Amino acid sequence: MSPRNLVVSASLLAALMVGMGNAASADDAKDESSFRTRLKPLLRAYCYDCHGSGSEIELEKYRTAAEIKKARGVWVRAIAQIRLGAMPPEDGERLEVDTRAQLLELLDDLVNSVDCVNNPNAGKVALRRLNRAEYRNTIRDLTGVDYPAADGFPGDDVGYGFDNIGDVLSMPPLLVEKYLDAAESITGQAIYTPKPSRVFELDQDPSKLIDAGKYSGGSGRVTLATQGTVALECEVPFTATYKLTIAASGDQGGDEPVKMKIDSGRLHKVIPVPSEKVEDFELQLRLVRGRRRIEISFINDYYVPKKADRNLHVHHVNLRGVEKRAIISGDVELPASHRKLIFVTPGGDVSPDQASTEILGRFASRAFRRPATSQEVKRLVQLAAKVRAESGRFEEGIQVAIQAVLVSPHFLFKVETPKELDAQGKMPLVTQYELATRISYFLWSSMPDDELLLLAHRGQLREPARLLDKVARMLRDPRANRFVKNFAGQWLQLRNLDQMRPDSEIFDTFSDEIRELMRRETLTFFAGVMRGNLPVTTLLDGQFTYLNEPLAQFYGIPGVKGPDFRKVSLVGTPRGGLLTQASILTVTSDPTRTSPVKRGKWILENLLNTPPPPAPPNVPELEKARLTGTLRERMEQHRANPACAACHNMMDPLGFALENYDAIGLWRDREGGEAIDASGKLPDGTKFKGVGELREMLVTQRRDQFTRCLAEKLLIYAIGRGTEYYDKCAVDQIVLEAQQHDYKFAYLIAGIINSDPFQKQGYRE
Amino acid sequence: MPSTLSRRTVLRGLGTTVALPVLAAMSETRLLSAAAVDTQVPLRMAFFYVPNGMHMPDWTPTQDGTRFELPPTLAKLSEHRRSFNVLSGLALDGARAHGDGGGDHARSVASFLTGAHPRKTNGADIQNGVSVDQAAAKQIGDATRFASLELGLEASAQAGNCDSGYSCAYASNMSWRGPTNPVAKEIDPAAVFDRLFGGQTEKSTRRAKSTREKYRKSVLDFVLEDAKELHRKLPAVDQRKLDEYLYSVRDVEKRLEGADRLRLSEDGVPDYPRPSGVPRELGQHAELMLDMVALAMQTDSTRIVSFMFTNAGSNRSYPEIQVSQGHHSLSHHGKSKEKQAEIAKINQFQIERFGYLLTRLGSILEDNGKTLLDNSMLVYGSGISDGDRHNHDDLPIILAGKAGGRIRTGRHIRYENGTPLCNLYLWMMNQMGVRADSFGDSTGRLKNLG
Repeated sequence: MSPRNLVVSASLLAALMVGMGNAASADDAKDESSFRTRLKPLLRAYCYDCHGSGSEIELEKYRTAAEIKKARGVWVRAIAQIRLGAMPPEDGERLEVDTRAQLLELLDDLVNSVDCVNNPNAGKVALRRLNRAEYRNTIRDLTGVDYPAADGFPGDDVGYGFDNIGDVLSMPPLLVEKYLDAAESITGQAIYTPKPSRVFELDQDPSKLIDAGKYSGGSGRVTLATQGTVALECEVPFTATYKLTIAASGDQGGDEPVKMKIDSGRLHKVIPVPSEKVEDFELQLRLVRGRRRIEISFINDYYVPKKADRNLHVHHVNLRGVEKRAIISGDVELPASHRKLIFVTPGGDVSPDQASTEILGRFASRAFRRPATSQEVKRLVQLAAKVRAESGRFEEGIQVAIQAVLVSPHFLFKVETPKELDAQGKMPLVTQYELATRISYFLWSSMPDDELLLLAHRGQLREPARLLDKVARMLRDPRANRFVKNFAGQWLQLRNLDQMRPDSEIFDTFSDEIRELMRRETLTFFAGVMRGNLPVTTLLDGQFTYLNEPLAQFYGIPGVKGPDFRKVSLVGTPRGGLLTQASILTVTSDPTRTSPVKRGKWILENLLNTPPPPAPPNVPELEKARLTGTLRERMEQHRANPACAACHNMMDPLGFALENYDAIGLWRDREGGEAIDASGKLPDGTKFKGVGELREMLVTQRRDQFTRCLAEKLLIYAIGRGTEYYDKCAVDQIVLEAQQHDYKFAYLIAGIINSDPFQKQGYRE
Repeated sequence: MPSTLSRRTVLRGLGTTVALPVLAAMSETRLLSAAAVDTQVPLRMAFFYVPNGMHMPDWTPTQDGTRFELPPTLAKLSEHRRSFNVLSGLALDGARAHGDGGGDHARSVASFLTGAHPRKTNGADIQNGVSVDQAAAKQIGDATRFASLELGLEASAQAGNCDSGYSCAYASNMSWRGPTNPVAKEIDPAAVFDRLFGGQTEKSTRRAKSTREKYRKSVLDFVLEDAKELHRKLPAVDQRKLDEYLYSVRDVEKRLEGADRLRLSEDGVPDYPRPSGVPRELGQHAELMLDMVALAMQTDSTRIVSFMFTNAGSNRSYPEIQVSQGHHSLSHHGKSKEKQAEIAKINQFQIERFGYLLTRLGSILEDNGKTLLDNSMLVYGSGISDGDRHNHDDLPIILAGKAGGRIRTGRHIRYENGTPLCNLYLWMMNQMGVRADSFGDSTGRLKNLG
């Protein structure tokens, strides 16, 4: 996308908005006149009888359009009741379908009108925690560790169609437990700590020494009464300097003390044992890992019968060694994350606390997506020092401090500090860092990269040229695939594909592999439109798609070879656009057959943003016997019931236009022997036949409605809250900006980012 | 049971096993000590939810009292017929529209354990009531390591609308700690196992574990302080979110402190292999998860459990039993005999799993000479009666277990239609030792159970 064009458009918009300022008072006058001449008569006919003066919920007392607007809460509830059909009550005045629609439209225009010029509310998102996908991505970008177990966190509940809505994302104890587990596992992987030193200790009863049997013993000792040798043999687990302790005593005789000689490898040492009392004799010896033998010999036997008898008694042998702690050095392969996170180590002039301060200051600032305060860093350094004092290891202190960062609310929540209205009562802007966070979670489902943080640090994120340049590059970055996966995956309900279980007897070409490929086709297609900066309507009528060989075979499209996805032209085929993709056709079908109702509903909800209300309960049953003919004919008989007709007159024709695609999206000309009739007519008289004409209708007549729908879904996803009536102004602008640029995708994204709800902080009404 | 064996063989994952307390019957010393000391055995309660209502003609017995014939669905529990009561006529007023229009599925699960009428919203201002399990856990949960467990078999919805204007938070959760705090459920049996017994099985790791717990505590203390400071700065809407965080951190901290209270014996006792993940087949998944319920209760790790078979309005098909259409689609049967038969099949498949749990609990003998099942109160049912009518009265509800002898079982009890389901909950809470005079929309304590 060309940043310059966007800049131009932004100034154009500004000019437009100034022009709109004068219209405000004119609008007020129009509201009053519409209220007097059109709305009031309807209210009098259908509402004031019960809601007149003195009644519990008095509607009649609001005598002007301005008064109604002021009491918005009351009237929003009134609208809901009328829309649901709960009002007027059954015994009240009967309200015909058309009149009801008219009444609703008039009320909606009045009650939900917003003054777009005078500082409309920018809305307030509830403190948003990272959802599962965001957590995993953020951890990866922050520490270099992939933590797939995040997918096993409790499910993120969905609100307004998306799983990143602040109000809905909860934080139960189960999740905090999982965050703790995760923090331990992640720091364990990211930072190498030497294992605690091993200790080897062997206590040997001398009677078990090799060759002890040759000598007399008894009462826990071996007595060497003649020159000879006993030996200790054992498996030494690690190379180290060991301490050998021999408890020995000697029967002294002659002119020298008892001499004991120790031999092991290259060590040969003679030790005098001068006492008749048991004493400990220690010596250090280096033993290499493996099977080792230590010999204890008596070397100066002396015997004069009845006069002198020199003997050696060995009472106990102990061998103990402590493995020398592996020092982090060249001989250990350090994980890359370790070197990145621990970029200073204590030593020389650098004290452990100084090193901790640098390491934790940088880490916390990235994790909190804003500079960590000195107080925050100080507390982290203290925590690290406490652990270090106990464990003796610098790295372990850092690990625990990083765990604290990863469980901190500043990391787990996208914190936005509250701001005051300025002197003119203008909606305050979110800070540069908060904006960077909003942008990166919108487009990357992850934390801001260093460049975004730097732009924020320099206060440059609201410089249009810089921002647009960055956004364009972000969309091209592979990380934007996460946006495709998370936004499109939910908007188009592709995630629900997992729950689809087409009947395997009827649809034997469907498999788990095909399911995955279908999803991939649609996500790749969406990404293609986005990265190509094509008009958003291309999503509906693009004459191309992305396939690999197995998926092309599934569709019956020849000439695609190999496992890699590539762009495939669909010119001249009945396919093209989302509505003809197997993923969407499958997700809107029943396991055994197509469901025109579900398909119609899907179009209304996701492409036109006009979700139909739920079916009223206890609809008089359609006795199967009474319904005859094709599915279409049966549906038409169904619609004879006015309770059903209002919505099904919209849903069914849209769905029937897709009848040439079966329940897993394959083409068919006939069903059950009958030729498919894919024609439809909407209540407003629009006629179309088959998917081609439906598509045509959507991208011409309904183009702005579709663009608006997409804009609103994007806005919900981007700001993490449901849209409110006051967001209308923002959506108007976003759509206007897209219109002025041929509906190109990037302008829609830029429009979202430039919008007030994205840039500013408002309040809850 | 051969099927159990083969399943265990298949799932003998990493080989970690947990040693269970010696069965009372097997250990003389324990029998002796049991006689000498306090023989008080705790009561347990659990709630099992199935969505989309039932095929009621196959559910409700035609006769009342003790001599009734088990209709086809309940017949799946015939071997336990002396251990449960069928309660007819109970109602969930909160699940009714009350002017809010459609959305009976989301509403019925949101109110199933709360008795509240959830506010219709897609997200902003979620508002429900406190659920019976959480209300009880709050008062008596301190007695065990886990105040309560929240389990299920189906992940939360991942996209789209859950039920006409209701956030999926209503449809995917039935335990509510506070009016705005749904409690997420765990669906992976291996994860439940690890939570319950992780690190408790190998002596050699105990020291490492205690160091780890010490560090954990430091970490929790640290972030608690962070959160408290942040809390002061935020507006009310954000404070509500942070309150959840604060609560959860404190809760985990409390659990760390009570970690050594797990009653585990190391002697030669029946062991249970650590499950290796989520089986694809729902029946296996359910049984493995119900094993976790049994283990948790047997080791007195918790006394309160909530269990959602599937989410509200679940449209899962059941290839396991040759039902290829979605459960929710089928439940709008329009009196079609075929669809009703399919619904009944699903009802039976689910209640058979419940029967599996009853068998397990019935085979565990406790210190008071009764079985674990005898010492429990297990509610099984749905917040919708007939899936096509979406009515919330005359609900299909079973109460299994004898509450340590306080319930006379083996009966079909018919209450005046419209009697609040919450009357049952209130009675149960009181048995558990919870002080309460009302709950949800209760009008009194359910009569005639003893």
